[in-house]
Amino acid sequence: MSLAVRREVRPCAWCGAGVEAEGPGEAFCCPGCETASVMVHGAGLEAYFAKRDVLPARPQGRSSLSWAQIPRQTLPDGCVEATFHVDGLRCAACTWLTERVMLDAPGVVQAQVSYGTGAARVRWDPRTASLEEALQRVSLLGYSPRAVDAAPTDDRDLLNRLGVAAFAAGNVMMIAAAVYLGWFSGMDEGFQVLFRWVSLLLATPVTFYSAAPFFQGAINGLRHRLLHMDLPIALAVAAVYAHGLYATLVGREGWLDSLTMLVALLLVGKVLEQRGRRRAAEAAQALAVQAPSRARRITPMGLEEIPASELRAGDRIELAAGEEIAADGRVLEGHGRVQMGLLTGESEAVAVGPGRTVIAGAVLAEGHLRVQVQAPAAESMLARMADLLREAASRPPEPTTADRLAPWFVGLTLLAAAITFGVWTVLDGPAHALEITVAVLVVACPCALALAAPLAAHAGLGAAARRGLLLRGGDAVRRTSQVDLIALDKTGTLTWGQPRVVAAEDRVLRIAAGIERASVHPIARAIVDEAGARGIPLPLGERVRETPGQGIEGLVDGRLWRVQSGGAGVVEVREEGGALLGRIHLRDRLREEAVAAVSGLKALGVQVVLLTGDHPEVAREIAAQAGIDQVLAARSPEDKAAWIAARRAEGRHVMFVGDGVNDGPALAEADVGIAMGHGAASSVLVADGILVGERVDALRSGLLAARAAARVGRISVWRSVVYNVATVLLAMFGLINPLVAAVLMPLSSGLVIAGAMSVEGRVLRGQR
Amino acid sequence: MNAVFFLIPAALLLSGTFLVLYLRAVRQGQFDDLDDPPLRMLEED
Repeated sequence: MSLAVRREVRPCAWCGAGVEAEGPGEAFCCPGCETASVMVHGAGLEAYFAKRDVLPARPQGRSSLSWAQIPRQTLPDGCVEATFHVDGLRCAACTWLTERVMLDAPGVVQAQVSYGTGAARVRWDPRTASLEEALQRVSLLGYSPRAVDAAPTDDRDLLNRLGVAAFAAGNVMMIAAAVYLGWFSGMDEGFQVLFRWVSLLLATPVTFYSAAPFFQGAINGLRHRLLHMDLPIALAVAAVYAHGLYATLVGREGWLDSLTMLVALLLVGKVLEQRGRRRAAEAAQALAVQAPSRARRITPMGLEEIPASELRAGDRIELAAGEEIAADGRVLEGHGRVQMGLLTGESEAVAVGPGRTVIAGAVLAEGHLRVQVQAPAAESMLARMADLLREAASRPPEPTTADRLAPWFVGLTLLAAAITFGVWTVLDGPAHALEITVAVLVVACPCALALAAPLAAHAGLGAAARRGLLLRGGDAVRRTSQVDLIALDKTGTLTWGQPRVVAAEDRVLRIAAGIERASVHPIARAIVDEAGARGIPLPLGERVRETPGQGIEGLVDGRLWRVQSGGAGVVEVREEGGALLGRIHLRDRLREEAVAAVSGLKALGVQVVLLTGDHPEVAREIAAQAGIDQVLAARSPEDKAAWIAARRAEGRHVMFVGDGVNDGPALAEADVGIAMGHGAASSVLVADGILVGERVDALRSGLLAARAAARVGRISVWRSVVYNVATVLLAMFGLINPLVAAVLMPLSSGLVIAGAMSVEGRVLRGQR
Repeated sequence: MNAVFFLIPAALLLSGTFLVLYLRAVRQGQFDDLDDPPLRMLEED
């Protein structure tokens, strides 16, 4: 019988990877997992293990200099509140756990994390707690908190206006119903006067408070010499209110019930539109370019930590592994590897040494550097890039269908009103003519028309977002619906954008993974992940020692092994004496869902091409695997944009999907630019949409949703145009009175709402 | 029929109360995030 302790394979208690463990108790695959698990148990949060349905990532637990950038706000009660973003939330249990561990930190009063957006809000007492402690806890669990650009905008103002309008509309309609019924049964004149004055009283705040955004929009439009959609609305509201005021004074019936209802419904459309846009904007912000805010400067007295904005050219800064570089500069001393993916889209870390240039925003993956700053942080490449992106993001939105119809609509309505007033003045005198003209304005008011586009677009946005494609606003939905050509970038889009194991023997992988499991190096992660995916239990590497640039060594099965680089994309595992055990080949690999995604898009009648800066051979291989027939390789960022521009000039509607700043020009040039939703992609600012879960197959459902929304929107718009023309004609002939208008108006809006609700069903049918 | 002269202010008062409650809820941020509470409900505590 062997004397060796019996070893068995168990899942890591935190991340579930198989581990060879000795003796009883929980097994862990790496120190990070152990720390996280100890913390959860220590806080009495074991419920997490029961709640989670997705295993968490292996924690890296690194604090970030950018935490100092998180904006804090002191509240009247002395507490401080901060809003930031948490990366890496995978399921609802993650949200629960991050909230709880922050609440568990001393002095934290309130902590809320949104699963949908990853937005976190924490309130704490500054006398007993610091935000950093709460953030440290979150980061030890493997989630990454970081600053977002600005506090979220709130749409409370619109909600208030809507509330007042809805309150007034409810009451005025109730009164109106009594008045209309009174026509048939005969009503006391006293009551009618009372009813009219109460209606006027309620309609006044609706006109001057609730409808104010429409007046504002109309005035802004006129100032820019545009006939904005808000103009006919503002005109109708003003005319109806003026008429109602006059009618109440002389003792006649106004149209105030229609007025309040109109404003309330239009505000519903506005709120929906704003919410859709805000959600996309928040997501984009959360992913936007982030330069580190602090740096460690070398002074004669030693190191001092200063805000990055105070760095001057000529300053010397110190950098440790894992830190972001705060300013562009030249390496003075030290060796290391730098990740510049944020700027170049290149996933592989680049080796740097004395004399080499490093850029702000890059991350020092390993090593230790002293760098001489060449330009202040504000003039770094990253800052200039961020400025360009911001400029591109603030370009005005393209006109929507409703916007394009508006000038015609306004013109025709005004013409119809003028003709009506003229003809009826001749026929029946100005008093009756005025009444009929107001009727024309009320029924011509594009309530359903203004509601149709935003409602359908909102339904489309929601349907696409639930499937992983976050589109920026209704206009993006419309353009997505027209797409007939999709150009996909290769690295990071069709492929993982990170090295993955492509070939290795199980026994080699087992040894390498056992030694590498404590390392955070991307290649080490790839090896450990592959071992986990193949179900190889990780042995416990002992006396593991990492020498930068020379690989890593450790004891497995009682023998000493060395894992080191064997050229580009190859890792060698050698025995102590130098005998080769085997090689592990790593390469960027096709995403698993890419094949289904491409065939799904083709089935929708969309042409799919691969548009990449990569080598033609590599590009063709990946394209063949993914099932893409047309490959355009070795294209520079400008070439990509030019190719897209050429296709657009041919009348194609092009969608480009890519990540990395180098895809910026192509994303901006395409009809629809879609960015991948991983942490560092600053391209999201120019993009019209984001693939939140980084799943390319979401493109197909997103396309279906956009098409359904566009179709419903088109139907609704034309339905309401026909409806409006018909009712205006009736009104011009004097055939519409307040009662008829009160019935017809909600009817048309109801049709539009029902249309929007059918979008989800259409998408589901399309997916089958 | 004179009851109407009393009922209309009563109706306005009642709905006005709801309006005030609604405005307060908006100010407290109860409508800021409509996506998460439905998920939160599924948690036990």
